[in-house]
Amino acid sequence: MSEMMHEVEPVANESQVSESQQGLSNKELFRTYLRLYITNEMSNSYERLQALNFCVTMAPHLKRWYGDRKEAYIEALQRHLQFYNTESTIGSVICGIVLSMEEKKARGEDIPAEAITGIKTGLMGPMAGIGDSLIRSTLKSTILAIACTMALAGNAVGAFIPMLYPVIMIVVGYYMLKLGYDVGRDAVTKILRSGMFSRVIHATSILGMFMMGALSSSYVKLKTPLSFQMENAAKPVVVQELLDGIVPGLLPLAAVFGIYLYLSKGGQKYSALVWVLLAIAIVGSVLGVFA
Amino acid sequence: MTLALAVAGALCYFFGTCRVGSGTYHSLGSGVFIGFICGLVYGDVTTGLIMGASINLVYLGVVAPAGQIPSDEIMASSIAIPLALAGGLSTEMAITLAVPFGLLGVFLDQIRRTSNIYWLHKADKYAAEGNERGIYLCGTWYPLAVTFIIRFVPVFILLSLGADAVYKVLEILPSWLTTGLSVAGGLMPAIGFAIILKCIGNAKLLPFFFIGFFAIQYLGISTMAAAIFGACIALIAFFNGNEREAA
Repeated sequence: MSEMMHEVEPVANESQVSESQQGLSNKELFRTYLRLYITNEMSNSYERLQALNFCVTMAPHLKRWYGDRKEAYIEALQRHLQFYNTESTIGSVICGIVLSMEEKKARGEDIPAEAITGIKTGLMGPMAGIGDSLIRSTLKSTILAIACTMALAGNAVGAFIPMLYPVIMIVVGYYMLKLGYDVGRDAVTKILRSGMFSRVIHATSILGMFMMGALSSSYVKLKTPLSFQMENAAKPVVVQELLDGIVPGLLPLAAVFGIYLYLSKGGQKYSALVWVLLAIAIVGSVLGVFA
Repeated sequence: MTLALAVAGALCYFFGTCRVGSGTYHSLGSGVFIGFICGLVYGDVTTGLIMGASINLVYLGVVAPAGQIPSDEIMASSIAIPLALAGGLSTEMAITLAVPFGLLGVFLDQIRRTSNIYWLHKADKYAAEGNERGIYLCGTWYPLAVTFIIRFVPVFILLSLGADAVYKVLEILPSWLTTGLSVAGGLMPAIGFAIILKCIGNAKLLPFFFIGFFAIQYLGISTMAAAIFGACIALIAFFNGNEREAA
């Protein structure tokens, strides 16, 4: 009956609910973020990447919220063992939203499991794109550059400058998680209905796509040393120069795109993919195609 | 090579690759920090710092999308710095020594992430039983124990055998293998970027990927500049798109 009321008067009911339910305190949110932060990469596997970490982070809360409803609890655990991968600092906003959704679901609100999984899969890619470029690339290399400059001058303080990196990640990550939780607690159902959320996913996906292009351009490196002598030419034809003449960065682009096509055709064997690429690189070097 | 220095190098490698704390292990594994610790143990902090920073600078722009590392700078530092300190090598020679080990370290990370599949499957079983403690162990202490074995042990053995053993390893590495590993290192981020593209999962947005890619290739702008332009493009899309377009 109370769930029916929600459908009719979402606003009035939500404020009532948040008064009667204490929700997670800031301290609990911080501890949750620390758990996410500390264990984030430890269990990273080629099968489902950060899936196990997400489940480890959620599990204590799920246990508390679902209590003795064992079946629902097990379902929730399994829900969070599905493929997941993002950048954990910016991406902790997803964890915050999901916490609020699971809390509501456990309380009996009508939140389908697909909506929770949908939020995760919808946001993890864009957040990875944004986080990898802001945190893992720009912030990290800036801090390390300062540290190296000091250390080269023989200043031992330089050795401790890299510690700024985790400190900033913990602060930013905690506020992202809190942001996600607060937004989710007050408005997730409203947002889901209004279509606002798909606009957020759309815009962040654009930024993610754009940044992936920019980072691929800078960090994927593939060149060929091939060249051949034409009969009447004075200089040998250098294949790399030919390729650069057509479109610069053609080989790195082909590499990213080839792998993307494999993955989007349903390829799941990340581990095999890594070893196959390693073999291609080595065979290519032996044959003198790559260098 | 003293035992203390070998233990210090191997411990630096373990802590730098333990993956505890998304950013903490990065700072413990930075060249400057490893240089400082090894310098402290050896008794020459300044030389250690300078070597560490010089190796660190080689890897400054390294990014590991979706955790896909192109080279293992931590192994490079943990092996080259103790050896160079003990053998009185120049900083330039330390860097030359470091690079091949940076390539070899990528193997170890691939072994780690492959072995983690085992713990994931174990966690699946615990989840079906509602065993939260089991899931926690599979996600933390078990992979950490494996990491200790595959990280600490090989570096400790190599360092305690001393410079001769390390040069032997470098000698038996044929040049096609080091070239192949360095090509592979350039390719590894491609897997990470492709995984993230797949996760974003909207093929209609691929033109934005190309804009980003060629903005760097043709215009030569920095990553930060790209982030600013990218954010503006995304905001324009956000404020102008109606819901039907977005869905």
